[in-house]
Amino acid sequence: MGTVQIREVRKSYGAVQVLHGISIDIEDGEFVALVGPSGCGKSTLLRMIAGLESISGGDIAIGNRVVNNVAPKDRDIAMVFQNYALYPHKNVRDNMGFALQQRRVPKPEIAKRVNEAARILGLEHLLDRKPRQLSGGQRQRVAMGRAIVRDPNVFLFDEPLSNLDAKLRVQMRSEIKELHQRLKTTTIYVTHDQIEAMTLADRVVVMNGGVVEQEGPPLELYDRPASLFVAAFIGSPPMNFLQGQIIEGNGLRLEDNTVLGLPAADPKQRRQVTIGVRPEHFVIAETGWPATVSIVEPTGSETQITARLAGQLIRILVRGRTSAMPGDEIRLAVTPGDIHFFDAAPIPELASAEDA
Amino acid sequence: MSARAPAVSYDARNTLGHRLRILAGIFVSIVFLFPIYWMVLTSFKQQVDIFTNPPTFFFEPTLATYKEYMRRADIVRRIVNTIIVAAGSGLLSIVVGTMAGYALARIRLRGAGTIGLIILLSRGVPPIALAVPMFLVARKLGLTDKHITLILAYSTFLIPYVMWLMRGFFLALPKELEESAMIDGCSRYGAFFKIILPISLPGLLSTLIFSMILAWEELLFALVLTNRYASTIPVAIAGIAGDTVNGANWGALTAVGTITVVPVVIFALLVQKWLIKGLADGATKG
Repeated sequence: MGTVQIREVRKSYGAVQVLHGISIDIEDGEFVALVGPSGCGKSTLLRMIAGLESISGGDIAIGNRVVNNVAPKDRDIAMVFQNYALYPHKNVRDNMGFALQQRRVPKPEIAKRVNEAARILGLEHLLDRKPRQLSGGQRQRVAMGRAIVRDPNVFLFDEPLSNLDAKLRVQMRSEIKELHQRLKTTTIYVTHDQIEAMTLADRVVVMNGGVVEQEGPPLELYDRPASLFVAAFIGSPPMNFLQGQIIEGNGLRLEDNTVLGLPAADPKQRRQVTIGVRPEHFVIAETGWPATVSIVEPTGSETQITARLAGQLIRILVRGRTSAMPGDEIRLAVTPGDIHFFDAAPIPELASAEDA
Repeated sequence: MSARAPAVSYDARNTLGHRLRILAGIFVSIVFLFPIYWMVLTSFKQQVDIFTNPPTFFFEPTLATYKEYMRRADIVRRIVNTIIVAAGSGLLSIVVGTMAGYALARIRLRGAGTIGLIILLSRGVPPIALAVPMFLVARKLGLTDKHITLILAYSTFLIPYVMWLMRGFFLALPKELEESAMIDGCSRYGAFFKIILPISLPGLLSTLIFSMILAWEELLFALVLTNRYASTIPVAIAGIAGDTVNGANWGALTAVGTITVVPVVIFALLVQKWLIKGLADGATKG
């Protein structure tokens, strides 16, 4: 059984606490992504599940067995590292078979399972090569092959695609997804790239500063971010934010006294708010918020427009092409459900959407 | 690109700087190799040719000195002693030093840095200050003039040396290698012996070779701790050079010197592939 229960898990290094009571329940066969900016504790949590870091408080159970004091080798897990950690002195075949050798699996059985994994991953012709004779993508596949032959309770992935170039990353992302659909092994996947998390996972756990900000299916996080942080972190290009004061008649007074008409009211009736609108939810219309186009960036399938609204730069994403030109005055409409209300707070600065 | 590359290197070959570097290389080689050349040459000379002035480069070579001295000064037994002591202390130090170096590189241990530093500091003590106390201890234990005494004495300075070199090699390896091995079913020891050691082999071998050369040429401890039975080649050479009764026998000196140097050179040539690899990349190949 590949369930994983994380209950009130804490981690401290000396006086510094890096995880503040994390609880996550992972079901058998589920694909869960842990995502967050660097330093949020996601890798530490994964390493604690693997047994590579001690647990300062709380429990971790794999398959209903508490593993706090169980050695990594006895947890029945397989892990894929960011740098792949292939054994440089062993060829691909022996890299993939090493874990089975350690478990004294009979040789014919090892050969069978290695060949099967190699077939799934398209590595058959590379079995006799050494890791240094492989390309980055091939090494990545070998690392996954090493995990597959184990047929473990849980797969752990620690930023497995970060060392690949952008094109290969997209390809390997699809392969990982396909692999999970085929093997249905419980998977915990750590990444700083929200796109990876969104596209791969059944459930995304957004972490920040050692706590869980929000967890849920990817689209729920996109549609109903629980905090300003999640709103800013999920989605690419990132959500636009405007701060202001709610005034009579559903208006938002911005810092420079511009008043924008709001199509929806804040369900929590706050006076000071930050509102968020995703770039793809703006519609260029006859009436709406006035803005001045400053940059137009067409990519063919869509066009990204940077515009100035009340002195603030906002991003607009339009499907297909647009006739808007720099300097044009446009009006932006938003449907009521697409405006997100948050407590007035500084906008979190995140690089995630850009560097990924 | 590839078509232009040879042209560039052709230009580089003809620059003045390049020629100067080659000249400097030749000069340094002469400075270092000439004494060795002269030693080997002299060892094949007859007594009369050794002292001619100006020195001669052409003479009738003879093995007389070798034949005579091999018989007289027990040189064969001393060579065997030196091999036993160099191999013994080299192997002992590599086993202990490698494991200690791994512990210092990887295991989170309170005060690990301090422990490492103290072991290193022990190398700062001049050997001459240790030689006499060591002799007294050895005599109390009845261990003077024994191979094991020299092996243990040499290990006192070889182990810190091995430990610090190997620690560097291990630090250069990604720790995910062991972590992966531990998830794959190894204990920490299993990960060390099955993954880390095989990868570090070039570094390990070059460290072993350097340790054995250091032990091979050691004089002071050998002089103090042995007298007849376990005495080594450097002691024999010192004996010939410092013969106050008959004066230094240059023919014998150069012959025994050649015998001492030649095995090291042959050994180094045999293992140079490992030596260079170990020195160059510290065994980090990903």
